[in-house]
Parts: sequence; structure tokens; C-alpha cells
Amino acid sequence: MNQITTIRSEGETPKRAPTRRALAKRQTRLKVLNAARNLFSEEGYEGATIRDIAAAAGMSTGAVFANFRDKSDLFREIMTEDLDALLGAMRAAGTQGGRIEDSLLKVLMAGYGFYKARLQLARAAFSVAWDVDGGPALRGLASSRGFQDVFSEQLTSAVERGELSQQSEVKLRSQMLMDCFLANFSQAIFEGWSLDALQARAKDQIRIVLAGARGG
Amino acid sequence: MKADTGSIAGASPVRASQKEATRQRVLASARSLFAVHGYQGATIRDIARDANVSVGSVFTTFASKGVILSEVMEARIEPLYVELDRVMPHLHGPTVDRLKTLFAIHIQFEMQIPRLFLSHIAAAYDWTLSPDAKPFGRNARLKGGVTDCLAKGVADGDIRADVNLDDVVALIISAFAWTFRLAITQNADAKAMITVMDRQIGLIVEGLAPRP
Repeated sequence: MNQITTIRSEGETPKRAPTRRALAKRQTRLKVLNAARNLFSEEGYEGATIRDIAAAAGMSTGAVFANFRDKSDLFREIMTEDLDALLGAMRAAGTQGGRIEDSLLKVLMAGYGFYKARLQLARAAFSVAWDVDGGPALRGLASSRGFQDVFSEQLTSAVERGELSQQSEVKLRSQMLMDCFLANFSQAIFEGWSLDALQARAKDQIRIVLAGARGG
Repeated sequence: MKADTGSIAGASPVRASQKEATRQRVLASARSLFAVHGYQGATIRDIARDANVSVGSVFTTFASKGVILSEVMEARIEPLYVELDRVMPHLHGPTVDRLKTLFAIHIQFEMQIPRLFLSHIAAAYDWTLSPDAKPFGRNARLKGGVTDCLAKGVADGDIRADVNLDDVVALIISAFAWTFRLAITQNADAKAMITVMDRQIGLIVEGLAPRP
């Protein structure tokens, strides 16, 4: 009782507190996003329709469109959320130190671990990314460039530490690390690879990509 | 010669040739539709309509959309592989150059119909893909060609003998596939992509050189 009064009296900017309407709107958005996430995971991007998503969220298609422009808007929002969390996890893993090979491997494994739990959604994302028409749903997504940044941060700091040479072509190498990181997913998905198998492959690939950049 | 077709046993060659005709029509329609609409965009229904056959008969001939695309891609690339099988064994010089040649040929070939190849990559992430489909990445001939190239390098002594060839092949093929992102995002042409691929191959092979 007392506390509530305090909060109310200290709430000097009541205008900024979300109105009931804003809260309801946010809840609707969340409900749609959750339903969409499930359906994209189960049906893929193409298979999930706005109508199904609305039905699963228990609302009309009109209500969905009031919150999201179209299906790609919805998908982009889910991907942004995931990519931010994923990149955060990869960066955090990279700060655990060790030599460049070790820290890169930790970064990669954090990425694989993250998607292990949502492989279907990862698959939907890749499928869309390679689709010339569906591609725009993901293109221009600021975070999709983030992968390369995560790798290039690692390489740059290794150059600064003198572990890698100054002429390391950081940009091309980080791009290649990103390529094999992403491409390994497709094999992992199809051949049902374990994280151990992914780790063994990633370790070899990191070694090859870095081999020419040794020395100071 | 034609007398045979009247017999009971002769009924099946007719059916077989009809089936083959359906097959070829479906493959031709699929090839042009994938090349325009991409893997997701071209549906079995569209393909059936374009080939002037029923959806049902498409499914009695092919297990899935992924299988249709696999066959389209295989038929398309077969002549290239016949040519490569003939040429590659006579290619000499450092491994790095032989690999660059191999991929320059592939890039030029696939960039003739870029959307078809992008469909092929996209299919690798399809849900409903049946196990008999061969999306990009499960193409044994490309893997085989790269492996042969590297194995020759090991024999010639410009590639270390202790490298795990499978991992190197996977690395090179992923570099190749993702180079096609440039075609999607930047409208890059074959020449620009070959330049990028050359640099990637150079960097990879640098990492495989025998230790001094």
C-alpha cells in the first residue's frame, strides 16, 4: 500500500507511463509475434500464412495487419530479435579470452549452440535469405551484417596483440569465417550433425583460414 | 517393327514413352519457372500448368519439388562435367591456379542463369525436401572435382599431406556458394565474383602450403 503510494507520488512524468491502450497494443504484438514464431518454425516462411498466424494468435487478420505491414515485416521483427540475442551470445563468448583460434571457436560454438534450439527457424531464415524475392524480408537487416563484425573484431584484436600479422586481410578473412559458419549449418541440418562434429569441422576451418595470417 | 506394339507386352513401351514425355515437359517447365520465380516462388501447381499436365501426374513422376530441381540441375550441368572430366586431368601448374580455373568455369556457367542456381542453394533449406533430392552442397561431382584438384596438389607437394581434405573442400564450396550472395545483394557480374573467389581460394591455399 505504502509502496504503491510512493510510486504514484514519484511518478512525476505520468505521460510517459504506457497507457492502457499502448499496453494492449504491445500485448497484441507479442501475441502475434509468438504465434508467428511457432508457425514459421513449423511451416517455414512460405508455408506460414498471415491467416494461420492470426488464427493461432486468436485474432482477426485485420488486427495482425494493424500491427505489421505484411508477413515479411513480421518475419523481419522476429529475425532482428533473434539476431540481436545471437550476436550478443557470440560476442560474450569471444571475450572469454585465449588465443585467436580458441576465441573464434568459442564464438562459432556459441552461435551453433544458440540455433541448436531453433534449427527450424534458422532454416526458414536461410531459405528466405537465398530466395531472390523473399530476400528483401531479411536484406537491409542491420544485424545480418553483424556476423562479419563479430569475426572482424576478433581478428582485429588479434592483429593488435601481434598474434596475427598486420597484413591479415581482416575483411576477407572475417567474411570467410562468416561464410563457413553459415554454410556448416546446412550440412548440420541435413546430416543431423552433433555439436561435437560441428566443433571438429569449425576448428579445422578456422586453422586454415588463419594459417596465412600468422606472425607479426 | 511396329507389329510389337499391338501385343499385350507392347502396351508398356507406349506408356513408358508417354511417361518419359511427361517427365521431359515437367523438367523443361520447371527449369524456366525456377529461373524466373525462384525455388519458393515456383509451385508444383505452376509447373504442372505450364507443362500442361495434372498435378497428380507430376507427383507420380517426381517425389517432390526438390527432386525436380535436382534433376533440372543435374541435366543442365552434365555436359559441363563431361567437358571438365576431359580437361581437368591435363591441367598443370600450382593447385591454387587449378582451383581458380575450376571455379571460374563454374561461376561463368551458373551466372548464365543466376536465379536457377540461387534456387538450387535455397532448396538446401527446404523443409519438405525428400532424402533423394540433391540440393546444392550435396552435389558429389563438385565435391569430387575439388577433392581431385587438392589430391593432385598433395601428390605434387604444394599441399600439405596432413590436411583434412573434406574440411577444406567444405570450406572452398561454402566460399563459392556465398560468393553468389554478391549476385543477390549487389547485382555483381561473373567477372566481379570470379575476382572475389580467386582471392578466397588464394587465401585458403596459402593456409595449406607445406610447412617450411
